[in-house]
Amino acid sequence: MLKQIFLPFGKINRQLFIALAIIQSILALVFWHFASNGLVPKPLKVAEAFFTLITSKSLLDNVIISFILTIKAMAISILITLFFSYLSVIPFFKTIAQFIVKCRYLTLTGLIFIFTLLTHDGSQLKLSLLIFGIVPFFVTSFLAVIITTDNQQFEICKTLGYNNWETLYEVIVVGKADQVLEIIRQNFAITWLMITLVEGLSMSEGGVGTMLIKYNKYNDITNVLALQLVIFVIGLVFDLILGNLKFWLFPHSKLQIHK
Amino acid sequence: MTNSYIKQDILIKAENVSLSYGEKTILRDINFEIKDIIRPGITQGQVVSLIGRSGIGKTQLFKILAGLNNPSSGKITLHSGKPVKPGDMGVVFQNYYLFEWRTIYQSLELAAKKNPNFKGHDIKKEINKYAEQFQLSEHLSKYPQQLSGGQKQRVSIIQQLLNGSSFILFDEPFSGLDVLVLEKITNLILQVSLSDEFKTLIIVSHDIETAVSLSDTVFVLGKEGNKEGATIKKEIDLCSRGLAWNEDVRFIPAFKETIAEIKSVL
Repeated sequence: MLKQIFLPFGKINRQLFIALAIIQSILALVFWHFASNGLVPKPLKVAEAFFTLITSKSLLDNVIISFILTIKAMAISILITLFFSYLSVIPFFKTIAQFIVKCRYLTLTGLIFIFTLLTHDGSQLKLSLLIFGIVPFFVTSFLAVIITTDNQQFEICKTLGYNNWETLYEVIVVGKADQVLEIIRQNFAITWLMITLVEGLSMSEGGVGTMLIKYNKYNDITNVLALQLVIFVIGLVFDLILGNLKFWLFPHSKLQIHK
Repeated sequence: MTNSYIKQDILIKAENVSLSYGEKTILRDINFEIKDIIRPGITQGQVVSLIGRSGIGKTQLFKILAGLNNPSSGKITLHSGKPVKPGDMGVVFQNYYLFEWRTIYQSLELAAKKNPNFKGHDIKKEINKYAEQFQLSEHLSKYPQQLSGGQKQRVSIIQQLLNGSSFILFDEPFSGLDVLVLEKITNLILQVSLSDEFKTLIIVSHDIETAVSLSDTVFVLGKEGNKEGATIKKEIDLCSRGLAWNEDVRFIPAFKETIAEIKSVL
């Protein structure tokens, strides 16, 4: 079994995988402990700050603010994504969907001023910037799913007498519903990454991004790392919840993984 | 078993069907007719085999017959005289593809809902009837990924039967099957062919013996001399040779002669 660890395509069981992860984490922490030179706080100090942080009310308040903003942005983004992605199979909308995909290359920083002019308050500015940042990634992921659809899925619909709209509904809307959740799960990280950027634009409302900026401002690296750890844990929990939700709502997706 | 029969109306007609991709000709001058065979006192559909070597263009012709692809020239018409369109013919694909996101019951329901004959009928009852007949009752709540290849093939067939099309195309139904499963599948095809007088099954295969043992008519697809593109090289009426509708056909000398004849044409 140990040989398998270093073998290309080697197969290891779950227990060994967990053991490997624990050992590698311990090694990384030990390395961090001995490598930190005073400027970077040692892991124990970060852990101490982490526990202080998670028991503070201010963290909970700020996490809730960021979380609500994230959920709002993701919900609106997914609606926009689904609208353009579903319609991308119609030639008229295909060009629009592909333009949205290319918008990945636009930087948010360069557009902040325009968005400030277009929105009424800080809350709207943050939300619209987040949506603008997320949608191209969502659309890119979902179009990739649509493009790689097995042609036989369309053919079977045709042989059953479905028209094009019915085929679109069955193969893309119903058939790819589990993929929508998977895209949300995969792109949640991008949203979480952007939130720190947009929250810095309107700090009066708070949020984990605001907290990070404040800690950075005072060079409080211990709390910066502790907060990063909090953000990391929230991301993992969200990932786990969405993953399980997918299996619960779409049992066939679990079977595909087993296959 | 009586072998008296008459061939009546044309059910499917291929007229000068050709298919080319750029300069390359895949199919040329495909002409054939499939007629309604009537056997006095017996409800009997038609089983037609389209035999050809691998890579000769069988799948291309299969897709044209199903209305999934358009020929470069020529047309396929049904008994009504209308050109074939997607949905006119049921298709059982080689890999028995089913919607992975639908349970077996849901897949069958989707097919049955498109059948105008089931309007006002209890669809659930019809599905259960077929599921029982094809020994799939206990699998209705499962997903395709949980079924074996043979079970999936049966579901694909029921799906097309529930859909109500008189014509069902089978793409290489005997490919990669072991002897026992092969026997089950051949029985299943015979069972379907006996379900309705107008039921017409078209088997596209390179397994000559199995296809011939089930069929009443065989079309051999191949290339003629140096001409580019495959065409129908031979039509064999197995009814006139006494080789149709006979369980023990493989033991008849004429069967072996027919197989040899087909092989010589391929």
